[in-house]
Amino acid sequence: MTPHDEHRTSDPLDLEALPGRGRPLDDDEDAAPDGPRKPDTKGRGRDDSDKLDQYLLRRYHLYGDRKAREQLITMYLPLVRSLARRYASRGEHFDDLVQVGAIGLIKAIDRFDLERGVELTTYATPNIVGEIKRYFRDKGWSVRVPRGLQELNIRLNKVIDELVPRLQRSPTIKELAEAASATPEEVLEALESSQAYNSVSLQASPNGEGGEEDAGLIDYLGGEEEAYDTMEDRTTLAPGFAKLDKRERYILHLRFFEGLTQSQIAERVGISQMHVSRLIRRSLEKLREEIGELDNPQITRPSGADLK
Amino acid sequence: MSETIRVEVAAAQSAFTPVRLVLGGLGARLEFSVEQLDDLYLAAEHLFRAAIAAERLVRFGVDMRLEDGALRFAAGPFTSPALREQVKPAAPDAACLDLCRLLRTTCDDVQVLDNDGSYHVVLIKSQRTPA
Repeated sequence: MTPHDEHRTSDPLDLEALPGRGRPLDDDEDAAPDGPRKPDTKGRGRDDSDKLDQYLLRRYHLYGDRKAREQLITMYLPLVRSLARRYASRGEHFDDLVQVGAIGLIKAIDRFDLERGVELTTYATPNIVGEIKRYFRDKGWSVRVPRGLQELNIRLNKVIDELVPRLQRSPTIKELAEAASATPEEVLEALESSQAYNSVSLQASPNGEGGEEDAGLIDYLGGEEEAYDTMEDRTTLAPGFAKLDKRERYILHLRFFEGLTQSQIAERVGISQMHVSRLIRRSLEKLREEIGELDNPQITRPSGADLK
Repeated sequence: MSETIRVEVAAAQSAFTPVRLVLGGLGARLEFSVEQLDDLYLAAEHLFRAAIAAERLVRFGVDMRLEDGALRFAAGPFTSPALREQVKPAAPDAACLDLCRLLRTTCDDVQVLDNDGSYHVVLIKSQRTPA
């Protein structure tokens, strides 16, 4: 008998006995981060949710059930989205903030102490917010960029996101300048200044360790299109590609093997063109780190036998 | 318009900014989209990095000009056989994302022009490229 046993229900593995069992929150169900959760339309109230949380947390912490951990992550992603939304106006892509916030959620689930008697929401919220704030702090400007340029850069990201669907194509510098009330020179300078912005790897293990069992954060996030799995084998066999996650492989495949433009990829994957651009750059950097210079023909040009 | 702008920068990643700014200015004259410019930046940066690694450069030089509705980016002169090899087209079905594939996906044309024992790598990006 472990010290945790006194907190357990008569049969902690009896999921059937739990009301509202196993139903994850809907994607658009906005969990209230600062207050008690509302009963849902299917009759699962706060108490039921807490019981389910406790059940899953016990499953994970006492029995090492990773499926329970995954279910908790899925259930609480709406909370992450809700918190990330508060910071979405600060120039970072919402998807990136959700991914970073999810690191905080995973840390909270992993570090949750069953004996403290607090709700997971209470414990997770400061972890998620802290991770997002840390992201902003770490992702600061690596060189001094005038505030005006920083602000214009942030504005341009929004303007591009607005113009692409309206124009049905990527805007020109002149169009961007008009929309952002800036000169073309200022636009170019602001776009250039974004090169001074650091980036963090969203592939990092949530707990900062690199064990095989540590899934990359990206594995928990976003819908994986079936198409990710239908890429031609030859692409997935390309040197270094194994180190990329499915979405990154899919995007590089579409761009460099299928010849789709960033805008076309953005439409297919459901993210912005600027986000595609960033993911391409990030993925190429990862490839470079993995296999050395992209440009080394002996490394990056496999023999025919390698492709079979 | 045949005005050529010659830019020479230190062979360090952090020194590439002036090249990008000139590219951006020329691209804006051709009414390149943000996406077309991004492609061009990506190609130029990767060529820059490859050249530094292959040639052990101290300075990187590039001539940029607008020509027939296209932006012509000619880097060099280079002498390294390794860089020439990297720019050479691989087999069409090669399953590798190398410099050659990257340049040929992001630009309309990639040329190697020989001149007195050295060569230039020329990237051409057309205004007509859809994006």
